[in-house]
Amino acid sequence: MLVLKGIPASPGIAIGKAVLLPGQTLTVSKHYIALEAVDRELAKLEHALQKTLQELDESAVKVRETLGPEYASLMDTHKLILQDPALKGTVIQKIKQDFLTAHSAISLAVQELAANFDKIEDPFFKERRNDIYDAGKRLLANLEGNKKDFLASIKKPSLLVAHDLFPSDTIALPENQILGFCTDIGGKTSHTALLAQSLNIPAVVGLSTASKDVANGDTLIIDGENGLLVINPDRYTLANYRQIKRELKKTESLLKTINHLPVVTQDGRRVHLYVNYDPRTDNKFNKTLITDGLGLLRTEFLFMNTPVPPSEEAQYKIYLAVAKRFDMRPATIRLADLGADKMPDFPLDELDDDDNPFMGCRGVRLLLKNPDLLHTQLRAIVHTACEVPAQIKIMIPMVSSVEEVRHVRAAFNKTLEEFAKTGKKPLNKIALGAMIEVPAAAIALDGMINELDFISIGTNDLIQYLVAVDRVNPEVAHMYDPCHPAVGRTIHSIIQTAHKRNKFVSICGEIASDSKMLPLLLGWQVDGLSVTPRMYLRVKNNIRNSNFEHCCDLAQAALLMGSSAEIRALVEDNNHENS
Amino acid sequence: MIQKELKIINRLGLHARPAALIAQTAAGFTSEIELTKDNVTINAKSIMGVMMLAAEFGSSIRITTNGSDEVQAAEALEKLFSDKFNEEF
Repeated sequence: MLVLKGIPASPGIAIGKAVLLPGQTLTVSKHYIALEAVDRELAKLEHALQKTLQELDESAVKVRETLGPEYASLMDTHKLILQDPALKGTVIQKIKQDFLTAHSAISLAVQELAANFDKIEDPFFKERRNDIYDAGKRLLANLEGNKKDFLASIKKPSLLVAHDLFPSDTIALPENQILGFCTDIGGKTSHTALLAQSLNIPAVVGLSTASKDVANGDTLIIDGENGLLVINPDRYTLANYRQIKRELKKTESLLKTINHLPVVTQDGRRVHLYVNYDPRTDNKFNKTLITDGLGLLRTEFLFMNTPVPPSEEAQYKIYLAVAKRFDMRPATIRLADLGADKMPDFPLDELDDDDNPFMGCRGVRLLLKNPDLLHTQLRAIVHTACEVPAQIKIMIPMVSSVEEVRHVRAAFNKTLEEFAKTGKKPLNKIALGAMIEVPAAAIALDGMINELDFISIGTNDLIQYLVAVDRVNPEVAHMYDPCHPAVGRTIHSIIQTAHKRNKFVSICGEIASDSKMLPLLLGWQVDGLSVTPRMYLRVKNNIRNSNFEHCCDLAQAALLMGSSAEIRALVEDNNHENS
Repeated sequence: MIQKELKIINRLGLHARPAALIAQTAAGFTSEIELTKDNVTINAKSIMGVMMLAAEFGSSIRITTNGSDEVQAAEALEKLFSDKFNEEF
């Protein structure tokens, strides 16, 4: 039995036999072919090469038209690498003389050539080996014309293990045959995670070595609740997980019965429960959910994987569909939080060489330095509000000062005036609020709250900045602690400051769906929470089982505590009593 | 045979993009074209060879062209270097 720890991407437990998605990664093992197969492998190589070159030409044309020839030459670099006699010649030689499969031959040739770059001392040039890896992977991806066939050939319900999965792969996924999947790479908001959520199956991503540690036919447990992958579990573990799975299933069906009931505590406190919505992962289940509205539409995806920023028209189409989907309920659209780990492909001002991107030019800072980006997005949102009578709320990410709020407000008012000149105006007033995730904004909130219509606390980043811990750094990740006294006190003080001016406060971030932390959030009198569709009914059920007065007592007690250990003991004891 | 010493005057050195330009340009001539830096000699028509030179800003490179169009080839490459590979505007 081997247990790997990854990132939970989609909740639930899946148990079954493993199938490995073949050939996406550079292999280190040598697979041999018979003499008669040499021509077939050479033909496969040539076919993949032509297809890859054609793809590169197509994207180069697109980039040249939109960005100019300087950028298109990056595509040419990959083309030249693939045609370079040093690479192509080596691959052909490995097939003809060493009788390797095209896949092995390409993998080995790429790795040999890249190894030459490892000897270079200058780190800048050393990094150039990545260009060779990338070009090699493009080629491999096209070599596996059989990948689709492979996926379609899965006839038994299985758990899919892959180095990475692409949206295009899912089209080929046989319906109801994939019970869950896990991947080596990816994070909570990566395309693989989104994919799992849209398929409504358990998934764990970011397992690093899963595709190497798992063999076809291994028994696997994918624990999407805790982000674990268990390979060949012992009898005890297997029995234990079967039990947990049964209980989860029971809870799921029980939860459906509360869908139409109001979100109130046992003693009648109304809490607004919103959903974090992503149009890419909408599915049948999500559509059945009755919610208080859309708490967070992340718009970054519109700006990623595109050589040019999205046009007003393209954004408008998406926002309009979202506004219609949520009808008259609030729909909160967050302005693009680009920068940090979400770097677009198109060039932007002030985005070169950011050594510490989380403290660098991201969110509203980036938008104010690229006013066209901000203006286009505001226009698309206002345009939407002119067409449908929706309750649209605009949320500004990464605000740290009142000046930033004023600048965005000015740009927003300018946009409204532009529309007014053409005789158009929003059918309902658009609210402008901020995401409070920078400690400076939390502490000095009284200075900007008058200029905001609402606020939402972005706890993932707020906690990270408060305790100065990068969650992806394994040395300190354990210090990322929602129970830290500073976290509770900050959230409480934000809510108090906002309530003094009668401003609505909601919380988004993982803490909102953490059943142990929920009583504290309710007790600090938060007005709303925003959670993922998958967690929606669970959180609703927890709220409906809470007693607001009891939560207030608990939350007051937590504010007086001086250590994480005390607060953790408090919420855990409370959790045990309830369950 | 023609030999010339050229200096890298673009700030980023011979990274992927300039390397691509060199390989593309070199491939347009029938002459044999080689680049030499610190006793390492590579075929200028191979982009990976050019990248492997790891030629940074300020370093100097010897180009050797040999063949029927060696004069034009040397001139074309010299122009690329002096234009900083169209990188800085």
